[in-house]
Amino acid sequence: MTSTAGVDTRILKAPHPVPGAPDNWKRFFSFNTDAKVIGIQYIVTALFFLLVGGLLAMIMRGELITPEADLVDRTVYNALYTMHGTIMLFLFIFPVLNGLNNLLIPCMIGAPDMAFPKLNAAAFWMVPVFGVILMASFLVPGGPASSGWWSYPPVSLQNPLGHLINGEALWILAVALSGISSIMGAVNFVTTILRMRAPGMTLGRMPIFCWTALSAQTIQLIGLPALTGGAVMLLFDLAVGTSFYRPEGGGDPVLYQHFFWFYSHPAVYVIILPVFGVFSELFPVYARKPLFGYPFVAGASLVIVGLSLIVWVHHMFPSGVPQWMRDVFMVTTMLIAVPTGIKVFAWLATLWGGKLRLNTAMLFALGGLFNFVFAGVTGIMLATVPVDIHVNNTYFVVGHFHYVIYGAATMGVYAAIYHWFPKFTGHMYYEGLGKLHFLLTFVGTNLNFFPMHPLGLMGMPRRVSSYDPEFAFWNVIASLGAFLLGVSIIPFLLNLVSSWVRGPKSPANPWKAIGLEWLLPSPPPAENFEDHVPTVISAPYGYGTGRPLVEHQDEIERALLKT
Amino acid sequence: MTSTPQRFPWPRLIGLALWLVLLTLFSLWMGAQVPRWLPVSASSAAPLVDGLFGFETAVATFVFVGVVSVMVWVVLFNRAEKYDISDAEPIEGNTALEITWTVIPLVLVMGIAFYTIQVNREIGLIGPMDHSHAPASASSAAGASMPGGEVQVIARQWSWEFRYPVAGVSSTELHMPIDRRLGLQLESEDVIHGFYVPAFRLKQQVIPGRSITLFITPTRAGRYRLRDSEYSGTWFAANQADVVVESEEAYQDWLRRASRLPLQPGLSEASREYAQQLSGDRPSGYATIAPAPPPLVNVPGSNTLPHDG
Amino acid sequence: MTISPPLDSTSSPQGPSPAGHSAEHANHSLTGFIIFLCSESVIFLAFFTGYAVLKLSALQWLPPGVEGLEWRSPLLYTVVLVSSSGTVALAERCLSKGQLWGFRAFWLLSMAMGAVFLYGQAIEWRSLSFGITSGSFGSCFYLLTGFHGLHVLSGILLMALMLQRSFRPANYAAGEQGVIATSLFWHFVDVIWVMLFLLLYAWS
Repeated sequence: MTSTAGVDTRILKAPHPVPGAPDNWKRFFSFNTDAKVIGIQYIVTALFFLLVGGLLAMIMRGELITPEADLVDRTVYNALYTMHGTIMLFLFIFPVLNGLNNLLIPCMIGAPDMAFPKLNAAAFWMVPVFGVILMASFLVPGGPASSGWWSYPPVSLQNPLGHLINGEALWILAVALSGISSIMGAVNFVTTILRMRAPGMTLGRMPIFCWTALSAQTIQLIGLPALTGGAVMLLFDLAVGTSFYRPEGGGDPVLYQHFFWFYSHPAVYVIILPVFGVFSELFPVYARKPLFGYPFVAGASLVIVGLSLIVWVHHMFPSGVPQWMRDVFMVTTMLIAVPTGIKVFAWLATLWGGKLRLNTAMLFALGGLFNFVFAGVTGIMLATVPVDIHVNNTYFVVGHFHYVIYGAATMGVYAAIYHWFPKFTGHMYYEGLGKLHFLLTFVGTNLNFFPMHPLGLMGMPRRVSSYDPEFAFWNVIASLGAFLLGVSIIPFLLNLVSSWVRGPKSPANPWKAIGLEWLLPSPPPAENFEDHVPTVISAPYGYGTGRPLVEHQDEIERALLKT
Repeated sequence: MTSTPQRFPWPRLIGLALWLVLLTLFSLWMGAQVPRWLPVSASSAAPLVDGLFGFETAVATFVFVGVVSVMVWVVLFNRAEKYDISDAEPIEGNTALEITWTVIPLVLVMGIAFYTIQVNREIGLIGPMDHSHAPASASSAAGASMPGGEVQVIARQWSWEFRYPVAGVSSTELHMPIDRRLGLQLESEDVIHGFYVPAFRLKQQVIPGRSITLFITPTRAGRYRLRDSEYSGTWFAANQADVVVESEEAYQDWLRRASRLPLQPGLSEASREYAQQLSGDRPSGYATIAPAPPPLVNVPGSNTLPHDG
Repeated sequence: MTISPPLDSTSSPQGPSPAGHSAEHANHSLTGFIIFLCSESVIFLAFFTGYAVLKLSALQWLPPGVEGLEWRSPLLYTVVLVSSSGTVALAERCLSKGQLWGFRAFWLLSMAMGAVFLYGQAIEWRSLSFGITSGSFGSCFYLLTGFHGLHVLSGILLMALMLQRSFRPANYAAGEQGVIATSLFWHFVDVIWVMLFLLLYAWS
């Protein structure tokens, strides 16, 4: 500890400001091209919108705590649930995952930065831009979009005031910008992974997180343009009066549903695949065992990509699709259970006989896995046509996907944030607050989303602003769970802020984890390994094998310790 | 590899077997609980759906509880000691296991899919078989061409209207005879709606520009809820109607009496609330499409009486 | 004090220095651009599928009073556009041989052919009796040709950029990834047009 103020001297040498260097918080508000800065920008922006979306959700649950539409007007409720879904998907979960991609991919593969740093920054800065557009739609006459995040025509084409600038148009604009930003990001991530790996980092030695990121971004590249095309036609129908979806001009409203779900079902895999990657990274670290069946776990991601593109019609079983289509898409949907099962069993086998350390990150990963398995079994039920016909568009579906997106994906994101927090901020987080956050989140999630399953089975449709009194019991419990989830954010934010400001300094590898990113100092310098990119000589996750990960690992580790 | 002969782990195996038996029994019990979670089953399709769902619930319980018991086991018994920073035994994979847990789920889900396709076929024969017709030129052709449909169901923002063209009756309450396959011709005048009666376990989007025939065989007399299941705008949640299933005689009697009644405005919760908003008795929010006026019908019926499901 | 780089005592023999990224980045750009083009093609695929679905399910596809599209002059412009792919290839060949003026000539010729195509498109749009709001057919026709036309325009602008770059001294000495990317884009636009022509004019 000879260098100034305990800061890695390479940070002070860096040509431009980097995370962890003293007194340059301004970089987070600038057009910075460092992937680590952009990663944190993404995550912080996403967490802000998590609060916004969560607030809307709590107003909704406040409305739904009683059967009558009494807290807010029905139009307001419809706008709230539309914006809740839109914000959570396009402004929380996608950006937060892109944040993780930015932080982790270059470090994990030994690249100095992303392939296109400026494109990267431009893709990020589009997020606040369309965030503002979406927020501004609350202020336009007529209010924000209120046709659900699916925006099915013809209901989304109804424009009560007839203005050219209306909530729906702004919504389409925001979603289109989000799509462009995501495609820019996807081009960048895929190119980076394909072309910028360190020597010896073959695809077969790549950490699973990079495999899942590669898979997820491939889905973005194939699926998003279809949604964009569909959205362009929707915008034309809305603003110009064309007849792509308008039945009166010969259009077909069901066509939109195909475009929409062709992307939006795979989008779920865009969300969950990186979280599978997080699980695959964390379980070996905290169980002190290698990942069980690495090639199978990596390959399963690619199988999921292929299958995810041929299942979309399972969202449309009641839309008047022919019977053969229902059967075919049911079978493809069922098949996804197989690669997913391979992953789940691989994680269980990794945990089995391990030496588990239950810190906050591991608890979130375990909790996420628990919720994911629950979502998985209800997913199989939804795949079977007759059951789906009954519960489609009911709260059963809402419960199912919130288990996926909050229970599994968001808890996986929390796990990732805790796990890599020391690496990228240079500070340890507080375990006590972290565990409190886990407890509240886990209880809140199950309290909030489990009751939706019985509600759906009883026949309560989703998106309702009022409901029959027989549904009241489970709705009260769900609302209490939602408020608990709201509370659970408090220890989380408290932990992030206080740890970053005054948490204990983190060593380079606080978890004794194996991976290129853990060879770097915490926080890593601007160009990561700079001129000394290590040569990878073995497969990842070599816990207990005694295999070094890179050539001359001892020298590197010793040199890094000296700082 | 070591000289000490490994003793066969009988206690572990017996414990595992016992646990599996318990798990199976619990899963079967869960599968049997299914009817308690669902509304009464009132159509010929409902028992098939419930049977499939019960089977799936048993399988799902087995998988979920099985996975969770492994997680609980490792959390309880595979914890590192407080100051133990050593690694566990490095097992990197096992191809036989991988094949096992690829093939078993594959067989399982294909089995479920096969069972489901059977159920699909059977429901198709007795239940819905939805035919989609070319865009109905206009709803003005009411009753002119009814390919298979005995009742014309017209969905609007936000009311349901049921027309019985042969008897010349219209209503905002759907009456159906018990134990007879009845064809409903679903049409929408504005946006996509969803025809959903939970007690029948059937659901079908009502798509503007198409005329879709849905066949239902009610099997239980009673009053059930029809809900709009596809988000249709401001008063989507209030777009509900009642379905009355009654004996053939009562049904015919109802038709006869109804045909003599004069036309009057039918039920429309949306119009009622909208009128309250216009008169200032109820706060309003963002701009909305005005509800279609309540349809003129012979029988408004009720949507406030207690319903069975 | 500065820390000693960890590996300098035992530097590995093969260690390719990743620090020299400026040379590598051009290569990345081409990879990235190809990935982008693949992605972009899905938008067209979506539009094509939409067109086919609407056409197949329509009772009355053409707007009232429209018999069919006149295909002869569009065919002429199609030939112009498709042959511009050839001139682009010739331009690239000149560039690889170092004949900068030959490159510029063929490049400019390709741009001109693209412009002729756009001109033909504009003429056709003005002569049509139906508009974008004339039912599904009108919507599809103008969307597809308009979206493709935008791509032709972007292609011409990209080519103009590359042409301007060719006047920088020694800029193309080591080959130019931008020219390769632009010509790829141009071929892409041409292939899309051939499909569009078949869909819109030939399929009736």
